[in-house]
Amino acid sequence: MKHSINALVLNSFVGLIAFVLANTAVAGGEVGEHVNHLSDNLEKYTTEVNWLIDKVDGIVDRYEKEGVKAARADSVVDHWEAVDFHAAIETNYMPVYASIWQGLFGVKESINKQAPLAEVRGEQDKLEQALWQALGAVKLAAQYQDRGLLDKVQLRAGGPGTSKEALGEIKMRLDRVVAKYAEQLGDEAVAIVHDTYLNLFEGVEGELIAQDADLVEDLEKDFNVTLPKAIQDKSSVDKVREVVVAMQGKLDRARSLLEKAEQGKPDVF
Amino acid sequence: MALVGAMGVFPRAVPRSPAQSAVPQTAAISVDRLPQLKGELTLYLGRGEGGLYENVLKAIQKRNPDFELHIRRGPTAALANSIVAETRAGLRRADLFWAVDSGAVGLVTGTGAAQTLPAELTQQLRPEFQFPDWVPISGRIRTLPYNTKRLTADQLPSSILALADSGLSIGWAPAYAAFQSFVTAMRLLEGDQVTIDWLRAVKRRAKNYAGELGVVMAVERGEVDVGLANHYYTLRLKSGKPEANVDLAFTRNDAGCLVNVSGILALRAGELPVNFIRYLLTREVQSYLATEAFEVPLVEGIPPPQGLPPLDTVSPPTLDLTRLADLRPTLDLMRKAGVL
Repeated sequence: MKHSINALVLNSFVGLIAFVLANTAVAGGEVGEHVNHLSDNLEKYTTEVNWLIDKVDGIVDRYEKEGVKAARADSVVDHWEAVDFHAAIETNYMPVYASIWQGLFGVKESINKQAPLAEVRGEQDKLEQALWQALGAVKLAAQYQDRGLLDKVQLRAGGPGTSKEALGEIKMRLDRVVAKYAEQLGDEAVAIVHDTYLNLFEGVEGELIAQDADLVEDLEKDFNVTLPKAIQDKSSVDKVREVVVAMQGKLDRARSLLEKAEQGKPDVF
Repeated sequence: MALVGAMGVFPRAVPRSPAQSAVPQTAAISVDRLPQLKGELTLYLGRGEGGLYENVLKAIQKRNPDFELHIRRGPTAALANSIVAETRAGLRRADLFWAVDSGAVGLVTGTGAAQTLPAELTQQLRPEFQFPDWVPISGRIRTLPYNTKRLTADQLPSSILALADSGLSIGWAPAYAAFQSFVTAMRLLEGDQVTIDWLRAVKRRAKNYAGELGVVMAVERGEVDVGLANHYYTLRLKSGKPEANVDLAFTRNDAGCLVNVSGILALRAGELPVNFIRYLLTREVQSYLATEAFEVPLVEGIPPPQGLPPLDTVSPPTLDLTRLADLRPTLDLMRKAGVL
């Protein structure tokens, strides 16, 4: 089992909380108040993660001993949606949330197609890794919350103020696209892509095009063709994630360009 | 086909729109002549020009250390709806509303919640942009960006209605708010039947894009001959890529060259909101928005953004801009025409 929390997690925290505020309803229903008291609930989340891992292990064991019907693999999703930890990670770190869904469906589908046991166990391992990584991310979020950082960010509800902030939010929403796709909610994922383009990227690209027209053209194509098509063509989650990661790299470049341009801008007064 | 006019080439000036009984404008004033702002205001700011509006707001705050501005940001239409709902509930959370389009302004002024502004403030604007209870801040013109490798300006129609029968391939973004405001203007000026016929006819020759920058870029690539878009996308593209194969043409006296505006209104009475608005009309802010955001300044004596002809050489239609708030019949019409 791995408890790795990489630098990406750390870098994402300031922005991710803005997401919490803007999106109080999630896939599993309303976000409970517990997400605003993460430290108080860490023990419960840990218990839930262990419970989930046992449940999945039981499903795979039944598959091994009694076959596909007895395994009742579809229940893996119900188990996940039943725990509060679901909302804790969904509102805190979208990339790992996506990996959990990918793992859940990996186990479910490999069993339903009666894959060899080694393949199913491989999917189970990936899911467990994602769950532990998610628990680590929530623990880190709890530390930030305890230090008051989350409250500080909450005051900024209402959307990004600058193009640079908008680019940060766009990157987070793209993570959410992967998560929704991993959750097998393709239509919702595409809707997020369109909404992000119209409500966030559109406001940025005017400034950006004066800096690098080719980069804007690339991102235009990514938002309007490449990413929606990857989802609508039912590509693998990894493929969709690959498109998103490439877009996020371009968005980082855009941010650098805008920062540079900002330095050369005249003062208003 | 008549010459429409490329950048900088315009045959005539046509007076228009609510110019009505407005008094002549006064010249833009410098920020140095304005009073210091003291106190607190809450501004609902419609999302629009990225960080440029924010830069203006930060500069105002920096210049006024005893002034605190609280900003709530969001899509313009959503904020307008919030204000309408708050007003109906007897609440006032916003002191000011800066909207990126005049339709959203109309939604709020229609409730009667906007304060009447002093005449000497509104008189700073060009006569056609003087309104009693809101202030246009900067403008954007509907244009026909065209591919300069394929066409010259004289091959474009001077009437937006004639575009449908021009034989040209057309790029448009029907889901885009600015396009829907343009269709609203056409509906109000020409009537529903003419508009739906036009939409259906153009649809046969049109390629859809998600946004209007996408339209302009498609024109530049030569995917389509001509597009329908606000002027600043082309100017911005050309500022980053001067060799871009795109130029601007304008129709005459119809919705195709509508001048829409961003605008601000005060929901709270008193000097502070009014004095805040004065800052947005200063020579400095108007020049900044023209040079950095490529928006059209609406006060006297400020040159237009580079690449755009003076406003008084364009001939937009006569239309009360706040009527652009009447969007629902437009969306119904667009759905009926199969373009949404």
